[in-house]
Amino acid sequence: MTQEAREKTSSRKSTESAGKIRTVVKRMYQKAQQAKEEKRKIAYCMVMCNYEEILEAMDIVQVYTENYAGLCAVKREAEQYMDKARAEGYSDLLCGYAQVGIGFDALRHELGEMPPDAPDGGMPDPDMLLGCTMGCDPRWKWYQALGRYTDAPVYNIEVLMPPSDADMDAIREHSVRYMAEELRGLIAFLEEQTGRKMDYDRLMAIIRQVEETRWWWQQAYELRKAIPCPMSTQDHFVLFVPHHMMLTDDFTLEFYKGLYDELKERVDNMIGAIEDEKYRLLWGVGIPPWHSMYILDYFLNFGAVFAAETAYMIPEPFEIPPDVTDPVELIALRAFERNSALQSRGKQAGGVPPLAQAHLERIRDFSIDGVVMHVTRSCRASTMGQILVRNVIRDYYPKMPVMFMESDIVDVDTYSEEETKNRIDTFMEMVAAYKSSAA
Amino acid sequence: MTDKAEGALTKAQNLYENRVARVRELANEGKKVIGYFCAYTPVEFLTALDLVPYRIQGGVGKPLKQVDQYLETIVCPYVRSCFDLALGGEYDFLSGMVIPHTCDAMHRLHDIWKYHLNPPYTYCITVPHMTHEASFEYFRKELELFQQSLESFVGRPISKEKLAEAIELHNRSRALLRELYELRKPAPPLLSGTESIQVLVAGMTIPVQEFNELLEGVIAEVRSRSPGSDSRPRLIVVGSEIDDVAMVRLAEDSGASVVMDDLCTGSRAFWKDVDTTKDALTALAERYLGGITCPCTFRPGKLDQRFSYLDDYIRDWNVQGVLFYTIRFCDTYQLDGPELQEHLEIMELPVLHLEDDYIKPPLGQWKTRIEAFLETIEARAQE
Repeated sequence: MTQEAREKTSSRKSTESAGKIRTVVKRMYQKAQQAKEEKRKIAYCMVMCNYEEILEAMDIVQVYTENYAGLCAVKREAEQYMDKARAEGYSDLLCGYAQVGIGFDALRHELGEMPPDAPDGGMPDPDMLLGCTMGCDPRWKWYQALGRYTDAPVYNIEVLMPPSDADMDAIREHSVRYMAEELRGLIAFLEEQTGRKMDYDRLMAIIRQVEETRWWWQQAYELRKAIPCPMSTQDHFVLFVPHHMMLTDDFTLEFYKGLYDELKERVDNMIGAIEDEKYRLLWGVGIPPWHSMYILDYFLNFGAVFAAETAYMIPEPFEIPPDVTDPVELIALRAFERNSALQSRGKQAGGVPPLAQAHLERIRDFSIDGVVMHVTRSCRASTMGQILVRNVIRDYYPKMPVMFMESDIVDVDTYSEEETKNRIDTFMEMVAAYKSSAA
Repeated sequence: MTDKAEGALTKAQNLYENRVARVRELANEGKKVIGYFCAYTPVEFLTALDLVPYRIQGGVGKPLKQVDQYLETIVCPYVRSCFDLALGGEYDFLSGMVIPHTCDAMHRLHDIWKYHLNPPYTYCITVPHMTHEASFEYFRKELELFQQSLESFVGRPISKEKLAEAIELHNRSRALLRELYELRKPAPPLLSGTESIQVLVAGMTIPVQEFNELLEGVIAEVRSRSPGSDSRPRLIVVGSEIDDVAMVRLAEDSGASVVMDDLCTGSRAFWKDVDTTKDALTALAERYLGGITCPCTFRPGKLDQRFSYLDDYIRDWNVQGVLFYTIRFCDTYQLDGPELQEHLEIMELPVLHLEDDYIKPPLGQWKTRIEAFLETIEARAQE
């Protein structure tokens, strides 16, 4: 890349919605800490487990441990907890989120109190630990490891991720039945822990609100197909927070309606996330480098906006079937339909692996000129398959540039700014060549 | 197949050294060979259809050639090695692949293998991570679909009798292996850990009928050995996947006797039988989901509930120390590891954790650590 490009400055118009998130996150942890003082039940949770509505209906306070690890990384305060986990015998190659979370709880156990200066006041001591099999192995293994530091009971549920070549019609019935049974097992566990019975009417009402929330987020997201793109990935990686961690709040529904209004206004007035949008990029699979998010702004120097991403994706669209009246069965059916949608479309497309299918769809729908993926040393689940995705993209878009950025989700020691910038420089040269050849 | 003059252990060693020799012969004769990963693949279905199950192995010591173009460097090096061999044509005799979704690496490998190598047949079996009552019911249905898929591939159904026969054959194999492991109980053991791995690997490469015949020969041969009298430290190796003798041989050359294992390529794969008194699919679901103690299956409870199965091995094989062997980038073992070690230490057993990059084991560094570890055990024995 030329020196001129390096020195050129550009700025990003962050959305007002994104600007609210930091306050929202602080308030979320304050509320959780207050709930603990009020002796309400606190559950450690993993995002996208499909139990959010159930927990809300049982008035259980949800604390998302992976995301707390991300917060620690953003604030560059993850190291002390990772060091503690390693001192406790955990590998430095273990999932970075788990390292931070285990280290945090090990430290609290050792101190007998909240670790001092814990970001945003820390996670309150949990009354129960609720994992699930959706996404990756640490999400149902991590909490059992916490048995060394807390007596809080662990309850895991199976959330299926159907194989890419499965006959979805053949597996739907028993898969949904299984996931529904898993949810019923969780409800029984929660009833035992709280001494309360589930209110199924309330549960159904919460599910309906959640799907409305998701519909608005989906509508807002679709607006990013516009040229210029009204919102960048940098904003996406904070805007997912209400959905992933406060899904059932009334605030969250209003928040995404507000986001839609804001983006609609930008699109109607041809206001882009950056001035003079030249290139549109896809942030491919790979959780971002929370410790150094500012590096994404380096792409602005080239007139590049991240118009879409396949990390922290919005759940697939889902319409509540009118004939399904059991809310538990509904959640199970929804999980199945969402978790099998990409597989089905990939099969229809002639055998495209689901992960790659997500990328091909966004490349097509969001007018993408290049793809960036983040190879994260401690997250196998979001890294394994990136090369497959690159290879599939090459098969469908032979000249599409694909870049691999290398570091970690939380461990800043894995990150080299100079090397990353050099890679971006080279990548953007390729994107420019690709774009001009396509023109 | 068998050279009658050849000793059974020598034959096992030859199969270990030339792992694809026999299946290539079979493939050339027109047999369909199906590759598979993991102890969770119910091989009975393959045997019942006269398909030859071949457990995919990597190549310890073999430099990787092409895999970097297909698989990331930060994923399970065993998986990378297997895929590199496949890319190089090592497994070109396979008519199909079965990859169960057991861990993240297996789950993702299925799509990668299918897209790039495109074998005539692939199947991904969803193995639940949970063991709730509903998990077994679900898994039973998954096995039924797996059976139907294989029947469709071969073009004929599996009769009840054929499936029962296959279950009996594999149960026989398991019983023979347990009988062989009994011969590791004496001090010193009649069968070394190195030989044991050679026999186990041999079994992954040939049809079960041939393996049973081989095992009968091996047992007879080992039984005929004279009991020794030395008293080396007795070790169990606990961990994931070992298909190469390097580490165990190093321990034994350093003065240990490796007398038992808890490995997915070892006891874990044969300790429990399929219950022949039950409906076959139910029994297979129970055996594979409930009978394998891999960290990729959630076992609720505290330490003693989760790891007490090891206590029997330790007591019955008179184990004095534990080699805890893990492969890099394995989250499931990394998360269980400290607690597993804690459980063993509560039992006052010394533990040596060896983390391997699989492709090139750090044998020099390990030698020093193993020697020091054995000294610790000997010092404890003299206390």
